Amino acid sequence: MSTPADILIIDDDRDLVNSIEIILQTKDYQVRSAFDGKDGYAEIEKKIPDLILLDVMMATDTEGFDLAYKLKENPKYRDIPIVMITSFTQKMAEQGPDRFQHILGEAWPVSSFLEKPIAPEVLLSTVEKVLSEAPAKA
Amino acid sequence: MDLGYELVKEQLFFRKEMMERVSWMIRLRWMAVAAGFSGCLIGYVADWPLPFVPINLIFAFIAFYNVLFFFIGHRLPSIKPQAVQAFTIFAHAQIALDLFALYAIFYFTGGIHSPFLVFVLFHIILAGILLSPLSCFIYSILVLLAAAGLFLIQKYAILPPQPILFESHLFFHALELRDIVLSTIVFAAMVFITAFLITSIKLSLRAKGRELLRVSKEIDTGNAKLKALYQMVKEMGLCQELQAMMDSATLNAATIMGVKACSIKLLDEQRRQLRFSSTYGLSENYVGRGSIDLEKSPINRSIIEGSYYAIGKIDQNDYFQYPEDIRKEGIASMLCLPLRVEKMVLGVFCVYSDVTHDFNDEDVDFFLLMADLTALAIEKLSSELNKTWFLEKAAHQLRSPLNAIDTMLKTLRQGYLGPTQTEQAKLIARCEQRIENLCQVIADLLDLGVKRTDLSKIKMHPVNIGDVVKTLVHLYQSQAAAKNLDFSCHIEEGLPNILAQEKLMDELLNNLISNAIKYTPSGGKVRIRVARESSDRLLCEVADTGIGIPADDISRLFSEFFRSANAKEWTEEGTGLGLVIVKEILDRLHGTIAVNSKLDEGTCFTCFFPVIDGR
Repeated sequence: MSTPADILIIDDDRDLVNSIEIILQTKDYQVRSAFDGKDGYAEIEKKIPDLILLDVMMATDTEGFDLAYKLKENPKYRDIPIVMITSFTQKMAEQGPDRFQHILGEAWPVSSFLEKPIAPEVLLSTVEKVLSEAPAKA
Repeated sequence: MDLGYELVKEQLFFRKEMMERVSWMIRLRWMAVAAGFSGCLIGYVADWPLPFVPINLIFAFIAFYNVLFFFIGHRLPSIKPQAVQAFTIFAHAQIALDLFALYAIFYFTGGIHSPFLVFVLFHIILAGILLSPLSCFIYSILVLLAAAGLFLIQKYAILPPQPILFESHLFFHALELRDIVLSTIVFAAMVFITAFLITSIKLSLRAKGRELLRVSKEIDTGNAKLKALYQMVKEMGLCQELQAMMDSATLNAATIMGVKACSIKLLDEQRRQLRFSSTYGLSENYVGRGSIDLEKSPINRSIIEGSYYAIGKIDQNDYFQYPEDIRKEGIASMLCLPLRVEKMVLGVFCVYSDVTHDFNDEDVDFFLLMADLTALAIEKLSSELNKTWFLEKAAHQLRSPLNAIDTMLKTLRQGYLGPTQTEQAKLIARCEQRIENLCQVIADLLDLGVKRTDLSKIKMHPVNIGDVVKTLVHLYQSQAAAKNLDFSCHIEEGLPNILAQEKLMDELLNNLISNAIKYTPSGGKVRIRVARESSDRLLCEVADTGIGIPADDISRLFSEFFRSANAKEWTEEGTGLGLVIVKEILDRLHGTIAVNSKLDEGTCFTCFFPVIDGR
């Protein structure tokens, strides 16, 4: 890898974003961050990242999923790998109201899940794995 | 109500009475025939001067037509209830033939002087019972005319005179004018008074019969509605899911009310639009129109604003948001009612009719009852859903900051911000440990809360405990090996299934096995055994050689947040909720649990599960 991978973190928990930034920077990744779906999308439009770390529940219960679907609909952004960060476990999704059932009914638009609390070594290994599997950037 | 049907029902009621009368008359006629023949026999023996041959022939004739009537009477029930005429003709035929035979007997037993002359009264009574009052009076006149004929025959000897049986006569002592006039007046009065009395009694009886019929009809309708309502409540009560319950309500309401369609529309969060939540009998096109704007639909708005009901007819165009669609759907009128719980309106319950239905007060009252029941059921199920969802959200909110803190502490301790001193790292690790425990408490509380609110929703199916245990044993193998435990498992062959859910079984056994491993010191034993306890119960045993439970604590083992002192001393890990969850699951599966423990020697938890019938 010649240039360090560009990673975008989208999460409304600034402390968590800060910790993730610290951890990722130790491996020389280039890290950007946004604190809601809208700002996140703006960052993506500015420059397509190599990987997105995306929180599920932000202002709304499904903001993360909504953004992920929006990206998958756009051919330009479709191939960006997404790692969902969540304390929103599958069990919870099954018991949630209709809109979650709906989401679960479709193919999940993400490459991988990271369950909170995030352990630094798991974060790093997941990011490394997803980046290595991602199609080479055009 | 369908008037035609009502008439038929009334006719059916009176027809039954008529049919009973007909067979009663036929029986009566047999008695008359028997009495006639016996009378002839007595007269013959007593040597009365009577023409026995023609009299016997008349009785034979009566017997003959009675046989015919008997067969016709048997065929009557197969005649359509609407064919009232058939009954009338049959009744006329009987009365007319009887009167004809009676007059023939009069002729042969003394003519106008016959002692049997009073028997005409019976026939007037029968005509009064079987026929209309008018027919009864016509027969009365005919009877009098026939008597006059009899008199003329006798007076002018038109037919050969017959011997007179008695010396003294009941009527018509002599054929003198004065006698005749007086006798005729008395005779006619007797006939007409009888006709009058019998028709009056019959009319009042018939009026009472109608009243009775009306009352019984009301009871029938009420009963049918109650039954339908009971069925509806029962079906709705069985539904654990909101959608299924609402679908059952619309289907039942439409069927009970005998209308084309029914819908439940619920208010959105802003209380400005109504969304079709369940429909029966409406096309996808109609429902697909989407939400109904309260601003544009006065009929729905009036309900949301507090009207008890609203009836809409399709010619009131401005009453609806989509009058064209309603017309296309073939709806002519609709009745809307609020889905109300106490004072809160949740939405609108609507029935649609393809005719311009005049929903009467009774319809409205009954429908209101259905709407109220449905509203209560909706409220109950959605509040359960909301409770669960609230718990999930609350737990998520509690966990989020803890998760962030945990990640921050790990970042710090693992040196991502530069090296930490050993003592500092130790303290941070303790923080992490405490946070992890707290997260576990939240997870367990959530789990328990959810189970207590909506375990009923979980669908059970046959589960093989052996399979669940095998998977878990495999999972715990490495953990047990790390503690150098003798970890073994014995599952009896060919065990029957139990009614459960894999996830629940998994959670239950997970709690027991992880406890056993946690509280057993290195080198100890953990044994799991699944076997048949009796023909209808299975047992699953998790036994360890761990620290044991003080005898005094066993009774408190399944209370929330309880942990024995020795357990707390043994490890900080543990929420005091695991066994509560175990108990909660077992209750749901109709299972039980037994605990055997000795301090410092070990503990054995035995769960019992009922076996599925027929396996």
